[in-house]
Amino acid sequence: MSALVCAAMMISFDKVSKRFGSNFALRDVSFDCEAGSVHAITGENGAGKSTLMNLLAGLFPVDGGEIRLHGKQLSPKSPADARSLGISTIYQELTLLPNLTIAENLFLGREPVRLGRIDRSGMREQARSMMARLGSGMDIDTYCGNLSVADQHLVEIAKGVSADADIFIFDEPTAALNAPEVEKLGELLASLKAQGKLVFYVSHRLDEIFRFCDRVTVLKDGRHVETRETRALTRDGLVSLMVGRVLSKFFPARPARSEAAPVALSVRDLQVQEGGPAVSFDVERGEIVGLAGLEGQGQRDIIRALSGLEPSASGMVIKSGEAGSAPLAFDVTKTVRSGVGFVPEDRKTEGLYLSLSIDRNITLGMLRRLNVWQLVPRRHDVIAELMRRLNIRSAGARQEVGELSGGNQQKVMIGRWLAAGIDVLLLEEPTRGVDVGAKAEIYELLREFTKGGGAVLTLSSELLELLGLCDRILVVRQNEIVAELDGAQATEEEVMRHALVGRADNGVHVDA
Amino acid sequence: MLWWVAQIMVCMSMLELARKSRRTGLSPIVLALPVALFVLLCLSSDTFRSLENLANVNSQITALMIASLGQGIVAISGGIDLSVGSVMSLTSAILVTADPAWGIPLALAMGVCVGLINGFGVTLFRVHPLVMTLATMTFVQGVALLLHPVPGGVVPGYLRTLAVSQVAGMPAAFFWCTAAILLAWFLLTRSPLGPRIYAVGANPVSAGRNGIAVMRLKVACFVLCSLSAVIAGIFLTARVGAGDATMGAPYSLDTVTAMALGGIQLAGGTGSVLGVVAGVITLGLISNGMNLLGVSPFLRAALTGVLLLMAIGLQRREAIGA
Repeated sequence: MSALVCAAMMISFDKVSKRFGSNFALRDVSFDCEAGSVHAITGENGAGKSTLMNLLAGLFPVDGGEIRLHGKQLSPKSPADARSLGISTIYQELTLLPNLTIAENLFLGREPVRLGRIDRSGMREQARSMMARLGSGMDIDTYCGNLSVADQHLVEIAKGVSADADIFIFDEPTAALNAPEVEKLGELLASLKAQGKLVFYVSHRLDEIFRFCDRVTVLKDGRHVETRETRALTRDGLVSLMVGRVLSKFFPARPARSEAAPVALSVRDLQVQEGGPAVSFDVERGEIVGLAGLEGQGQRDIIRALSGLEPSASGMVIKSGEAGSAPLAFDVTKTVRSGVGFVPEDRKTEGLYLSLSIDRNITLGMLRRLNVWQLVPRRHDVIAELMRRLNIRSAGARQEVGELSGGNQQKVMIGRWLAAGIDVLLLEEPTRGVDVGAKAEIYELLREFTKGGGAVLTLSSELLELLGLCDRILVVRQNEIVAELDGAQATEEEVMRHALVGRADNGVHVDA
Repeated sequence: MLWWVAQIMVCMSMLELARKSRRTGLSPIVLALPVALFVLLCLSSDTFRSLENLANVNSQITALMIASLGQGIVAISGGIDLSVGSVMSLTSAILVTADPAWGIPLALAMGVCVGLINGFGVTLFRVHPLVMTLATMTFVQGVALLLHPVPGGVVPGYLRTLAVSQVAGMPAAFFWCTAAILLAWFLLTRSPLGPRIYAVGANPVSAGRNGIAVMRLKVACFVLCSLSAVIAGIFLTARVGAGDATMGAPYSLDTVTAMALGGIQLAGGTGSVLGVVAGVITLGLISNGMNLLGVSPFLRAALTGVLLLMAIGLQRREAIGA
């Protein structure tokens, strides 16, 4: 460590906890950070990285323990408050306003004012030099809504860095940047460090952690695992710190698979966007296939494309069933009509009708075979039977779905497709917001569905769920399938290695 | 002749502005509509061209102009205020019932109160602005009628002078209009509040993360809107020369019509002072022109509706923000 930097502890986290409802997002996290260093925060999806940083940024209050700045308690009440305390955050999601120019965005909320009016020329001049520091010659009078995503990220970084702050938080800053821009970012981090600032660098990109950061803190399931000097760590060492949880017992047993199960869904050269990478894979009848990977690597796009929600997708998808084989159109109505059901990640806004009763939500599934002028069948018997099978705990079939617990809502969502008689189910986050008991029931339900000849393709940000549930796991990284693993044998470490490092470094076979 | 040259120059500079900007909501149709109407009316009616009538149009649209500028600020911040008309009515009732010395301060204080109630209802209690201001609109209208059930009363003399006298050959209304436009223009384009209002309208979450006090700003917008309604009410009462507890009623929706004609999107984040001015002039010309041409008031309303639909249909609607 350079002689310039004194070993003064700047920020200390002391038994910091944060709860959302009954779930702990963070639990007793304690570690210290030094001024004049770049401190990486890493961990798997949902480890609590962003939550921890959002506490510092003032988005929500700490529930337990405290954060100390130079030994004094720090509790920013709002983003504005955090900013005035000298904490500047570069958010992962863009916070630029599309209807303001680059210059206006850079100075939003702290416009240079002269005689009651904005000092436009001064503001534009400073904006230009701020962008130049990042090596960008963008026209600062451009409206941000007209910029590419990468350019918007650059503006976002310029905005964060220009703040008069002592602590900088970079939340996954490089997601949209290209190599030279990442290089510039590295220089920027070094110069902040030289000024004695503390930089938090949230990322799960190993190479950047090792290149840019002095120390790294690993979180897992909201708990602190380790804080170490990056020099004292190897890549494998870091990965093994990030993984290593115990698989629970509540997953149903995988049935023995016959070799020649018929294919239910055959995906060939599926391109979610024009010019993007293409993926090919099969889903057989009777099997549950999971798409694993870090968040935002393209798993969601693949499932959404298959469900017909991405009309710009292209490629060949053959759906085979009792009625024969037919290519699938990238159109929601036609997809449902050919027997493919989709359970979205956010069932409350994209799936269910919260103000309608359970039976009506389920009946909707049966409508797919009717013409508009036909009467809706009142199949009380079918619905009662289905509710028994799904074990939906409610006050009766007439209860509003919005009043049910998350788990029972998810069962209604799946029940709708069962009533519709579909044979391929696409699920995003099958058990998000579902309590543990209901989770097991949903897994059991999916397994039953496949035993009856159905096929399931799912994605989950909870790796353990995929490991426990799936027959096969496809690891997706940067919109490509980089590995195919047997669900029964795959380990968390193995999946994470593929998800983090990718194709080039492993001798894995890729299903084509 | 001079009018023509001026109109053409104005028209050209407007088009130049329209090309440049993305957030102003100014499309060629927004700016061409008032100009086209003006030209059409000049050709079809001799009376219209007279300076007298033009001054008349100016004073007819002044109240709408002032109220619409306030409505525009709320619209850009992502809200809507239906209570402007009732606030104008109550202002009128206060001016003729209160002591002349206290009339204006009382009316302004009332405006601040209504604005605060609207603002806190929308932000703190998360009521949709449409519902919130519908409630205050109904309430304030009721209070106005309670206070001054029968139209009439005496307007303080100095107000009458301020509203209808002429300065250097120009009607006083012209100065009221100009002052209001300049104030709103300064607020939206020159003061630091301008970009913040646009920011909150486009995406309040992002704006908050940029350190803007979103709630305070939204409340301020509603207060500004109510205040501008009070001033519009003062002018209108003075011009008419009598108090009337329903005189503002049509303005609640007329200001919203002016927004639509002026390219200001009620979703927030898009709009401009020039757009408000264009929208108000369009409405004023329709009303004055049809009056001169002897069109029945019922047909006039129907035609205004058609024109509104056409204008909206021809505008390029682009949602801003996430």
